[in-house]
Amino acid sequence: MSRHLCAWLFRHSSHNGPHQCHIHPQSRQFTQRHLDTRLWVFRQNRQPPLRHLLDKNCPRRYCLQDTRMLWKHKALQKYMEGLSKEYRTLDQSLQRVSVNDGDRRAWTRRHAELAPLTTIYQEIQEAEQAIEELDSMCKSLNQEDEKQLQELALEERQTIAQKIKMLYSELFQSLVPKEKYDKNDVILEVTSGRTTGGDICQQFTREIFDMYQNYSSYKNWKFELLNYTPADYGGLHHAAARISGNAVYRHLKYEGGIHRVQRIPEVGLSARMQRIHTGTMSVIVLPQPDEVDVKIDPKDLRIDTFRAKGAGGQHVNTTDSAVRLVHVPTGLVVECQQERSQIKNKEIALRVLRARLYQQIIEKDKCQQQSTRKLQVGTRAQSERIRTYNFTQDRVTDHRIAYEVRDIKEFLCGEKCLDQLIQRLLHSADEEAITEFLDENLKSTK
Amino acid sequence: MEIGGRMLWPLLSGLGRRKGTRGWAFSSWQPCRPLAGLLSATELVSHWTAVFEKRGIPEAQASSEYIVAHVLGAKTFQSLRPVLRTQSLTPWQLQYVQKLSGYRLQRMPVQYILGEWDFQGLTLKMAPPVFIPRPETEGLVEWVLEEVAQSSCAAGAQGGPLILEVGCGSGAISLSLLSQLPQSRVIAVDKGEAAICLTQENAQRLRLLDRIQIIPLDVTLEGSWAHLLPWGPMDLIVSNPPYVFHQDMEQLAPEIRSYEDPVALDGGKEGMDIITHILALAPWLLKDSGSIFLEVDPRHPELVGSWLQSRSDLSLDLVAVRQDFCGRPRFLHIQRSGPQHGCPVEARPGPQPARVPG
Repeated sequence: MSRHLCAWLFRHSSHNGPHQCHIHPQSRQFTQRHLDTRLWVFRQNRQPPLRHLLDKNCPRRYCLQDTRMLWKHKALQKYMEGLSKEYRTLDQSLQRVSVNDGDRRAWTRRHAELAPLTTIYQEIQEAEQAIEELDSMCKSLNQEDEKQLQELALEERQTIAQKIKMLYSELFQSLVPKEKYDKNDVILEVTSGRTTGGDICQQFTREIFDMYQNYSSYKNWKFELLNYTPADYGGLHHAAARISGNAVYRHLKYEGGIHRVQRIPEVGLSARMQRIHTGTMSVIVLPQPDEVDVKIDPKDLRIDTFRAKGAGGQHVNTTDSAVRLVHVPTGLVVECQQERSQIKNKEIALRVLRARLYQQIIEKDKCQQQSTRKLQVGTRAQSERIRTYNFTQDRVTDHRIAYEVRDIKEFLCGEKCLDQLIQRLLHSADEEAITEFLDENLKSTK
Repeated sequence: MEIGGRMLWPLLSGLGRRKGTRGWAFSSWQPCRPLAGLLSATELVSHWTAVFEKRGIPEAQASSEYIVAHVLGAKTFQSLRPVLRTQSLTPWQLQYVQKLSGYRLQRMPVQYILGEWDFQGLTLKMAPPVFIPRPETEGLVEWVLEEVAQSSCAAGAQGGPLILEVGCGSGAISLSLLSQLPQSRVIAVDKGEAAICLTQENAQRLRLLDRIQIIPLDVTLEGSWAHLLPWGPMDLIVSNPPYVFHQDMEQLAPEIRSYEDPVALDGGKEGMDIITHILALAPWLLKDSGSIFLEVDPRHPELVGSWLQSRSDLSLDLVAVRQDFCGRPRFLHIQRSGPQHGCPVEARPGPQPARVPG
């Protein structure tokens, strides 16, 4: 739980305008004292009686505190109250006999939708009540001789607090708006940058591509190579792959963007001089559409093959089955030469083209959806720098959530390290989404 | 192969002198054996591309890529696992690449060199002199599949169509149709023994033998259609018959002229010899509204159209012409319009004739 929530609460607390604050609630060291003090004051105001006790006895207070802050906020409370009320009304209505079938079906559906949410809400309320009772009991237990009892009460309190935390994250999960394309497979493309450090870019591009290939096998996804254009010295200019499996887009969507590398080249003058070069490569992640999502008119396609000249048919026997597909209205070009069968190459090329067109549609969608949003992680254009791989310092930094990994080699293996970062990104994005969601809700009820 | 190997000798020694140690790597049985492993797939491809180009071999790069990829167990160089591109080849692999490239220097088609090729997602065995399926023909299969899907929708889809293929060659058309129409059966005929054997072998490899009947038959012989009557009236006739104009035969590339069976290509003076035979026997074998799908030369749609008009007794109409992926009119859909021609109903065998023997 995090700074987004803090930032959000700040925006709505009376002292502050919209602020971007960079506080890491999990860490005990406060880097930005100024903002944190304000936050402190803010927290104090909210829950004065518990403060002291909590500070001493609850080591994970910040995590808990943040969820509680979210909870305490009137937007969420109001929202949940609204839902509970609706649920109760539905409950009563459904018990009445004089309901027509159409209504009954719609109500039953909504009733079923709300049931889990209201259950969690109720449990949270009960647990909160229990905690309050415990707290008031603790306050009355001040004498030395009652110390044992006090300890017991605190223990009990911690258990309940833990439970509340779990309930919150459950509630949180069910409130996060689901993204439409999360379940889709993806087409992942990597392209080496064209800076002066050409060699390091190409080498880096290969390493990144290998990383995603390993990550796919780590996640038990299927990885199909669609295109591979190698460069000299084992580098890579461009490559594309289709990755299919369980929720692939959800995991890879935040990998799209510019990845920057800083390292000393392995050959050449700079290698001898130990000069650090900076290079880039880009990753594009396209959700793979279903056939119905994108319709392509065959008339809009121009297909180039190596058999275009001459009589064709039985008169020639060529083996070059490469296909180049041009989508005339958009000017998009896709090439494929993975297969010996030309028609298979065309199918693959069409699939890639469809994914690119789909991406355009989605981008347009998103622009409309989020014109007012300023997301930290979110879905910014895939042309922004998202991560730096500093080989000389053996460090990977994700610029969106200020996250650092120490072991580059381990990270590039595409296993646990990468997965952890991806999970962290997903979590941050979820928080942003829910914050925005509540924001909207608050605005509309005001 | 022996010849191929010997032909390479002067070339290799020349290379050795020019490029120093690198060239020696190719002659892996030379004293410098340790060097043999130093060449990577990428380097090998560019080496052989240069050799082919120098010797005027067409598709120099594609050929060397297919050969190297094949030796490394991939279908195309593009689909070769990235690691394998930079890894050194073993002496045995180098020797194998060299052997196959030797064949290419003699203008052998890559498909015969590899002994296999892909058609519509199937991998088929290829062996000289059986005709190598061309990519255009994949379009013919696509069209047939589309039509079958449409008509089975209309007819309520009970069982698949019974299909006759004339001139099956390696079996490409028949087998790709069977693999995508799990309900259908195919009668495949060819007059070449090599073609019959190859279709048989490919059908066996693809486990499609139970739905295909492969019959040696020359459709140009008088009354040959009678042999097909026992298999029942057909829903479809499909063919990629020899359609090259006789005068064009000499201009074909050495790959085709010296390796492929001319009988599978030469369509006579106007390329129509076999086409007209197929059209003439079709009315005896087709169901009432059965169809013929043909691949032809771009000059043929017109020729076939007027020929059909002059033979109205056949009750066949050219209903559609389709272009190949290069925009040339390449495929014909001909449909039977009138009632069964010339063959009295009582003379036809029973509705379900003898099944596939064996």
